[in-house]
Amino acid sequence: MKNQNRQDSVRKIRKRIEIHVGIAIAALVVAMGVGAAGFVYWGAYNVSALQQHTEPVFTVLNMALDRSIRQRAEEVETPRLTAEMAEQGRPIFQRKCVQCHGAPGVGRDDVGKGMTPVPPNLAHTAKAKSAAEVFWSVKHGIKMTGMPSWQFKFTDEQIWNVTAFVMRLPELSPAEYQAMVAEEHVEEGADRNDVSAPAQARRAATPDAERGKMAMYGYACIACHRIPGTVGPHSDVGPPLAGIGGRRYIAGVLANTPENMVHWLRHPTEVDPLTAMPDLGVTEQDALDMAAYLETLE
Amino acid sequence: MTARTVLLLLLPLLIASGCSSDEGEPPPGDPEVGQAAIREYGCGSCHVIPGIGGADGRTGPSLERIAKRVYLAGVLPNTPDDMVRWIREPEAVDPRTAMPNMGVSESDARDITAYLYTLK
Repeated sequence: MKNQNRQDSVRKIRKRIEIHVGIAIAALVVAMGVGAAGFVYWGAYNVSALQQHTEPVFTVLNMALDRSIRQRAEEVETPRLTAEMAEQGRPIFQRKCVQCHGAPGVGRDDVGKGMTPVPPNLAHTAKAKSAAEVFWSVKHGIKMTGMPSWQFKFTDEQIWNVTAFVMRLPELSPAEYQAMVAEEHVEEGADRNDVSAPAQARRAATPDAERGKMAMYGYACIACHRIPGTVGPHSDVGPPLAGIGGRRYIAGVLANTPENMVHWLRHPTEVDPLTAMPDLGVTEQDALDMAAYLETLE
Repeated sequence: MTARTVLLLLLPLLIASGCSSDEGEPPPGDPEVGQAAIREYGCGSCHVIPGIGGADGRTGPSLERIAKRVYLAGVLPNTPDDMVRWIREPEAVDPRTAMPNMGVSESDARDITAYLYTLK
């Protein structure tokens, strides 16, 4: 009987403790939620590029970045990277990479300074990462870092060439790099896009609307237009593209046919010399894909 | 108390709290008269226009948030004066435009602009 009583009271006490702990946890979760919301709403987080993350946050973010790239690079099949490929990748590297990453003995341009995260020194990257990881990063870009995706600018073959050159960087002394660059002078005034190959290599049989949607990011269309199906700054520089598939005119001047849309996307200033829509160097295949996506926006 | 008085009373509060409304002065013109004028000129047969019944045309672009748009017709910086000019003489702004000259009077154009600038 006594024993029974004791067991009962022990059970009661335990239950009471459980309830209290439960309430405490729930209160903590709510408090954290409110705190996080307040942190965001009152702008407590300093987004200045010169206010580096705290060491633990930096470590976690870096790990997320490294793991994400490594995971995805596993599916990339690396070809044999030859000296010839590296040689072909060098001019692309000079024109597109050096301004942010620098090169052996060459400082980065102003845009590559004062950035957070700081664009890595690529000789170091080449030692720390696999070619597949470099290829993946160049092809797909890296969110929130300033690293753009280059897949709407270069073919996979060209990206492998750049990768081949990057992987060679640790072997190059500054003097050797200088000698290489001096051989073929890159004119500063020259069109920086002329290293892009014609798009034939990427020509698909039928326009691919899904790829067209990705091109809306790849060509930064979302910086000026609201485009259904994309997430972006919701900017009203140009008109919203909801319903563009059913619109009668493009830019108020061209009948809305697939051919005209491709023409407009590629050469807006030819269609209307007064337009604020810039010529973005859209390839024909990319324009076909983009037009296919826009057509779905009824 | 009219809406304007309420706004005037609230204005110092808004300024004091640092919440600037991003527009400067509202454009001259009467938005309500403009709303009626938009119906009369039939703008809605070519444009989607919020607040105008039956304005669901798909010939030209939607005028949702037109007050926030950076460019008019993709060619003119979006100011009240330019909006009036564009509404009155679209072909003078862009000779290639499909937007017709509807013979809109200056004062109608001002009122229409006032209404369009309420679309944020």
